[in-house]
Amino acid sequence: MNEPQTSSSHQSPLIHLIDDDAAVRDSLALLIGTIGLRVQTWSDAQRFVAEFDRGGIGAIVLDVRMPGISGLTVLETLVAQGVDQPILMLTGHGTVEMCRRAFKAGAAEFLEKPVDDEELLEALRQAVRRHVRSRERRQAGQEARGLFEQLSEREREVLRHIVRGLSNKEIARVLDLSPRTVESHRANIFVKLGCESLAQLIRGYAELADGDA
Amino acid sequence: MAWLVASVAGCAWIARDGLRQLQDEFDTNARIAHRLMSQQVVQYDAVLATLALLGGAGERAAEQRLSGVYPSIRAVARRDASADWPDQRLADAESQSRAAQRPQLGPADLAAGRYWLVMAAQPASFALDVDLARTVPWADWPMDPKTSPVRLSLQGGKQQYVVQPGAKTQGPWRFEFHKHLASPSQDFDVVAERSVRLGELPWAWMLLWIACVGLLLAGTRWLQLQRTERRRAEERVRFAQVARLNALGELAAGMAHELNQPLTAVLANTQAARRLLDEQAGPDELATARSAMGQAAEQARRASDVVGRLRRAIERPASDRAGQALNLHDVLRRALDLLQPELSRQGVEVRLHSSTATHQQVRASGDPVAVEQIVHNLLLNAMQAMQQQDADARRIDLAYGPASDSRHCEVRVCDNGPGIAPEVLPRIFEPFFSTREHGLGLGLSLCETLAQEMGGSLQAAPGDNGRGACFVLRLPRIA
Repeated sequence: MNEPQTSSSHQSPLIHLIDDDAAVRDSLALLIGTIGLRVQTWSDAQRFVAEFDRGGIGAIVLDVRMPGISGLTVLETLVAQGVDQPILMLTGHGTVEMCRRAFKAGAAEFLEKPVDDEELLEALRQAVRRHVRSRERRQAGQEARGLFEQLSEREREVLRHIVRGLSNKEIARVLDLSPRTVESHRANIFVKLGCESLAQLIRGYAELADGDA
Repeated sequence: MAWLVASVAGCAWIARDGLRQLQDEFDTNARIAHRLMSQQVVQYDAVLATLALLGGAGERAAEQRLSGVYPSIRAVARRDASADWPDQRLADAESQSRAAQRPQLGPADLAAGRYWLVMAAQPASFALDVDLARTVPWADWPMDPKTSPVRLSLQGGKQQYVVQPGAKTQGPWRFEFHKHLASPSQDFDVVAERSVRLGELPWAWMLLWIACVGLLLAGTRWLQLQRTERRRAEERVRFAQVARLNALGELAAGMAHELNQPLTAVLANTQAARRLLDEQAGPDELATARSAMGQAAEQARRASDVVGRLRRAIERPASDRAGQALNLHDVLRRALDLLQPELSRQGVEVRLHSSTATHQQVRASGDPVAVEQIVHNLLLNAMQAMQQQDADARRIDLAYGPASDSRHCEVRVCDNGPGIAPEVLPRIFEPFFSTREHGLGLGLSLCETLAQEMGGSLQAAPGDNGRGACFVLRLPRIA
């Protein structure tokens, strides 16, 4: 396989492909491989659910009609387990009802076999991009929370008023402090949270500050 | 159960009515008997009074001639003032009569139907020897004394005279009538008794009633059964149609899956190969692309196998399609009957007739089920074609008869719908060709295949007078 070209993450994306038909599995894996995505194929949906790496970046391509278990059931199971990889459903005989059910259950895409390469590959590219972004966002959120926890009680109070758009003077009046004290808290907050501008501060911490109240 | 209740209740009512009629009849007869007897005995009082009034004035022999006029008066006794009664009991009765100033009952032997009636008078007292057996006015008697079930007796003191014996056997019901004769001197009690046996109940009526109730219930039940049966038959027809659609849907789903798997692989392999070749292909890429093309070819063969398998699975054995002799009229009739509910709901007027003037039987060779199916499909198509027009202008002409050549006969199904567009006509028997939005396009294709398997043909043409469409099914003819 080629080296992954996407992803700012340290991991190269991995596509999980589940279909009971070996010919379909192999040919789709080959096709997906041509755009440099790694593919892991699974013939058994239950084994896939039990064993696949939930932490990795990537997407899941799931056949609807498989012996023993319906792809829709697998989809519902995965979503219920909190799997965050986008799931693409693939079916040979899709009905409107089946499509509706898949999207309602949380499918990212619903494709009909035989699927055209552009359609499938574009859907996969988008899915992977979306997954990477969501992982990054989550990671950023976690980092922000870590920094936010380092603030003192008073600093958090001041931050809350900053993101609400109050000026130093107003904050001093509300909290019954001198404007100078507020000024020093404000400086500390910027340093502790590693922010260089007010805009950056508000974008990264508005939710945290408000949620803390 | 309903039958039992209705029967019992009806019979009880009939029995009660029967008993009431018997009682009425009994009462009437008893009253008539009482009146007749009263009239008779009152005459004796009158005779005595007359004798007493005339006294000894008349000839002695006159009173002796009374027996001639009144056969029931056996004898007349006379006591002149100086004489004595031959019987002391007559003397006692005379003294009572004198005290009461009216005739008195003398010695009586009711069991034998005899009694004396005495009247005291001056100068002579008289006594009548009455014979009850002759007193009864049989000519006017309301009953036949020999056969009547009513026992009638006259009772006085401890004695009784049986006028008619009545029936001996006793039954569960009893009527009684008591009334004294309307003569103070002969104060006998008229006692009528009647016992009704079980056998006298109006059994015939009761049986008739039971039979009527039974027939009525059976009739209702039969009608109900007919109705349910008809409904069930309709359900069956509808169910068969739904089942056929379901089977078709299942077949389509299975076919789609079975074919889409290899097609997916073919498409993915060829597209992957093209992508590999588009790049600056090194030996590795070339090898992969070559293998992908091989895979694609193999999957294409797999798809073709699926189609072959499908064909073999649903192919009908063609051998028994031909050769059966069938009466076209009957087959067409059956096809019409099957669609009758739908046809009448849509108000379609269907005319089934022979195309020749002579009503000779037209016998074709073929499979009746297949012919029926073809006609069924053609009728359905005709109905659908006419759905957009007024309900009273929907007509289907279903004709059969010998074809223009002598070896075939034909069935023509013509409607007066919008007809078939000329550009559509050549394609109409193609599989999967349909002018309807959700049509599968298999109906006419199947019909044509069936017709050809029977050695016949199916053709479409514009309607005779330029309106509507005609489908002509030709089948080999049996002379």
